[in-house]
Amino acid sequence: MSDTFVCCPFCGLLCDDLTIALNKGQAQIESAGCARAVKLFVVPRQSQALVAGQAVDLAAAYRAAAAILTRSQHPLMGGLACDVTGHRAALALAEKVGGVVDHMNGQAQFRNWLPFQDGGWMTTTLSEVRNRADLIVLAGTDTSRFPRFFERCLTPESQFGELHRQIIALGTNLPLIPGRPTDTDLAIPIQNERLGELFAALRARLAGHRLDAPDIAGVPLAQIDALLVALHAARYGVLVWNAAELDFPNADLAIQAMVNLIKDLNRTTRWSGLPLGGNDGDTSAAQVCTWQAGYPLRTTFEASGPHYEPMLYATDALLESGDVDALVWISAFDPERTPPTANCPTIVLGRPDMIFTRPPDVFIPVAVPGVQHTGFLHRMDAVVALPLSAPAPADLPSVAQALVAIQQKLNHAAA
Amino acid sequence: MLRLKGGRLYDPAHGIDGQVGDLYVEDGRIVADPGPDAVIHQEIDLTNRVVMAGAIDLHTHIGGGKVNIARALLPEDHRFDPAPATDLMHAGCGHAAPSTWTTGYRYAEMGYTACFEPAMLPSNARHAHLEMGDIPMVDKGAYAMLGSDDFFLRLLATGADQRLVNDYVGWTLDSSQAMAIKVVNPGGISAFKFNARNLDLDEAHPYYSVTPRQVIQTLARAVHDLGVAHPLHVHASNLGIPGNADTTLATMAAAEGLPIHITHIQFHSYGMEGERKFSSEAERIADAINHMGNVSADVGQILFGQTVTASGDTMIQHRNRRHASPDKWVCMDIECDAGCGVVPFKYRDKNFVNALQWAIGLELFLRVTDPWRIFLTTDHPNGAPFTSYPHLIRLLMDRNFRNSKLDEINPEAAAHSQLRQLAREYDLYEIAIMTRAAPARSLGLSDRGHLGVGAAADIVVYRDDTDREVMFAKPEYVFKDGRLIVRDGRVVEVVNGAVHVVKPEYDKGIEKPLKDYFDRYMTVKMEHIKVSDDEICSCGASRLIPHKCSVSSS
Ligand code: SF4
Repeated sequence: MSDTFVCCPFCGLLCDDLTIALNKGQAQIESAGCARAVKLFVVPRQSQALVAGQAVDLAAAYRAAAAILTRSQHPLMGGLACDVTGHRAALALAEKVGGVVDHMNGQAQFRNWLPFQDGGWMTTTLSEVRNRADLIVLAGTDTSRFPRFFERCLTPESQFGELHRQIIALGTNLPLIPGRPTDTDLAIPIQNERLGELFAALRARLAGHRLDAPDIAGVPLAQIDALLVALHAARYGVLVWNAAELDFPNADLAIQAMVNLIKDLNRTTRWSGLPLGGNDGDTSAAQVCTWQAGYPLRTTFEASGPHYEPMLYATDALLESGDVDALVWISAFDPERTPPTANCPTIVLGRPDMIFTRPPDVFIPVAVPGVQHTGFLHRMDAVVALPLSAPAPADLPSVAQALVAIQQKLNHAAA
Repeated sequence: MLRLKGGRLYDPAHGIDGQVGDLYVEDGRIVADPGPDAVIHQEIDLTNRVVMAGAIDLHTHIGGGKVNIARALLPEDHRFDPAPATDLMHAGCGHAAPSTWTTGYRYAEMGYTACFEPAMLPSNARHAHLEMGDIPMVDKGAYAMLGSDDFFLRLLATGADQRLVNDYVGWTLDSSQAMAIKVVNPGGISAFKFNARNLDLDEAHPYYSVTPRQVIQTLARAVHDLGVAHPLHVHASNLGIPGNADTTLATMAAAEGLPIHITHIQFHSYGMEGERKFSSEAERIADAINHMGNVSADVGQILFGQTVTASGDTMIQHRNRRHASPDKWVCMDIECDAGCGVVPFKYRDKNFVNALQWAIGLELFLRVTDPWRIFLTTDHPNGAPFTSYPHLIRLLMDRNFRNSKLDEINPEAAAHSQLRQLAREYDLYEIAIMTRAAPARSLGLSDRGHLGVGAAADIVVYRDDTDREVMFAKPEYVFKDGRLIVRDGRVVEVVNGAVHVVKPEYDKGIEKPLKDYFDRYMTVKMEHIKVSDDEICSCGASRLIPHKCSVSSS
């Protein structure tokens, strides 16, 4: 790349306006990064591969990993926090060993995929939001897991003239909006668990139905109707949610109620959804699996071809039921995303500064994409894929390199 | 050196129509007869075999964001067509929205060696190249979509000089690594973002006030001025709407004699006659093509069964949501660039409209007299999955078969159609034109689509079978750049295709206003939207094949 700007891989916004200097081998943000980026761009350049807690060289770690996979009937390729090249390698290995794939953010992802596959939806992307959205509804999120969301996507300047954006927050956490006198123009306190009821009520009122209750989910009917008037008045409304924060049973149905309201509103005006996400490479993982196998993860590679079970092939369920007998945990972005407890042999391809309470059977330190090696990553909207640079290269294998090395040892073992 | 001996060659680029001859292949190329003393390492006797260049699909949605949306949307469709991994091939799935691996294998197994994705959004270009990087076997290329992007519409609305537009179009081709320019519902995808539900050819855009006609004229001029081989690739306004034939004819005229390609023209050839206010205008459209040498078209034939429609045309796709089957659909506004809409569809032979659509497509094939200007497509997957091409070829080559199918469709539609009166049967030479020589010529691929000395050795050998569906479904041999990749319709070697792009000349000064635009309004830097030459191989392609543009002096 000829430019000086660096893309940050540490949340689904993929801000690509960072400038970074190298200071004693460490990437140091000079401008534009958030606190999360400042922290995560600092990565040790070296680390130690471990087998059963003992220091070994990489070749021995690859051998040990291959031995586990050779003994395994049905391994889980989990975590999947890496770049596109890493996802390609993970899928190749899963296909080779008859494994199943799920991302560490799978619970959140499938709260979106289920309504998507059931009825579809209408969504938008970050630059559309920035230029068109005159009404933003935040449903159950304060966007704080995407630290620069307001700065990057909701600046007043737009190519269609200055936007006087209205912001409505539904939930218990109110966003802190830089540069605004009040946080929101309207805040409706409501438990996230009850958002589905509220959206169902909005749909019913939009369709002209009477509701025989003084309030829905604690929101008075008059306020629901006032909200509907506001939704109707928008030129380009955007409903924002983050499935990871909608962490309650059947949250997919709440999201379905939201996307159905968006569809209904589009009969007469323009509305779109913006599902926040894309952290830990989850958008890329789902995209690559979809184009290679046809399904957005939670897919197992059987002799007859890929087999998709969105309810059964969830990491927690698989580990609990014993349906898998080995876990490969890929986590190259955030050292705190350590593997879940598993009753089966565990291989971790982790950030070099990952700390374990109980070391896994095999630990292979891997380079961080976008800091220590180049790559590709998708932004949350799955449209924009950006090039990752390597402002602080290190002598560690990438996830893809480590997986290919393991697969080669596997071929040896089989031969 | 390999000698392919005694096959019946169909090589329309050289006027060869079934003459028996030998081909010599060395280092991936077709070479001249080396004379009697040459060492031949391998010889294959092709007596009574039909030999053609590798087929080229110039309009097939195989990779890019909306295809992946279609895949993700249809797990129930994949379930019926799983593709297991083999020693050679990756696992995947087939049918309406096949996985990338399976797309490549199945195209090659039908004798295709190059496929062009017609709707790559510049904002989605890197993703599209990543997807195409995982489509093996065939060469690939993509057309960059313009015409509803705000930067272009602003240029137009402010009366920018054509030269500035040309620079922007040149920059777009270069920075998205594209082969041509496509426009979809000119200005209409943008108008939908401003809540317009229709935009006729001469209707002013609700915000920019420019018309679709201006969009077409300006882009057709830019493509021509830049010397891009493939004409402006136009998905016209009013797709699928009864009575849209008038729009289509006006769109052809809007090019004012400049080259223009009207894509999936079947969906744009509808009248409003009859009780159901839906009728065929195939005759009028075909006559226009026959008379206008600057116009080419691909058909976008529909075939019956389950498929999925994936299009940049959000305005029309949103309107079509009520036909979704199964009942689910996706619309997306994208990056002040364009949009996409995905609507699953089931075409039914007993349904009047679907049956007539089927007949209209076939009528167009049979009524357009010049096979160099009409291309065989189903607009995969919009009209039908590409795997139905052998069936479609049989419909074109075999009148009895066609009429027997006509007997099965909705009788009212059959009665409305003049298809039965059309006696024409395509011959092998014409099939070789419309699936090889003509698309290669249209795209400016000088060393593809023919069997002359110097051509890339993309060669397909068929057993001559009176059942043309059987024949074209399973070639006996397929060679890609001289390597045997398919034997008897099965992949025997996996190769990775190249990516074709054009490299027009333009003034890089356009980056100054572009950079300012991206910095002020976009959420990505201009530098990062650009896909560099070396990224193409990192994305997965075997190599990048750049094509120079030849600027005419006019
Ligand atoms: S907001 Fe997200 S992408 Fe942007 S700098 Fe912070 S962590 Fe990185």
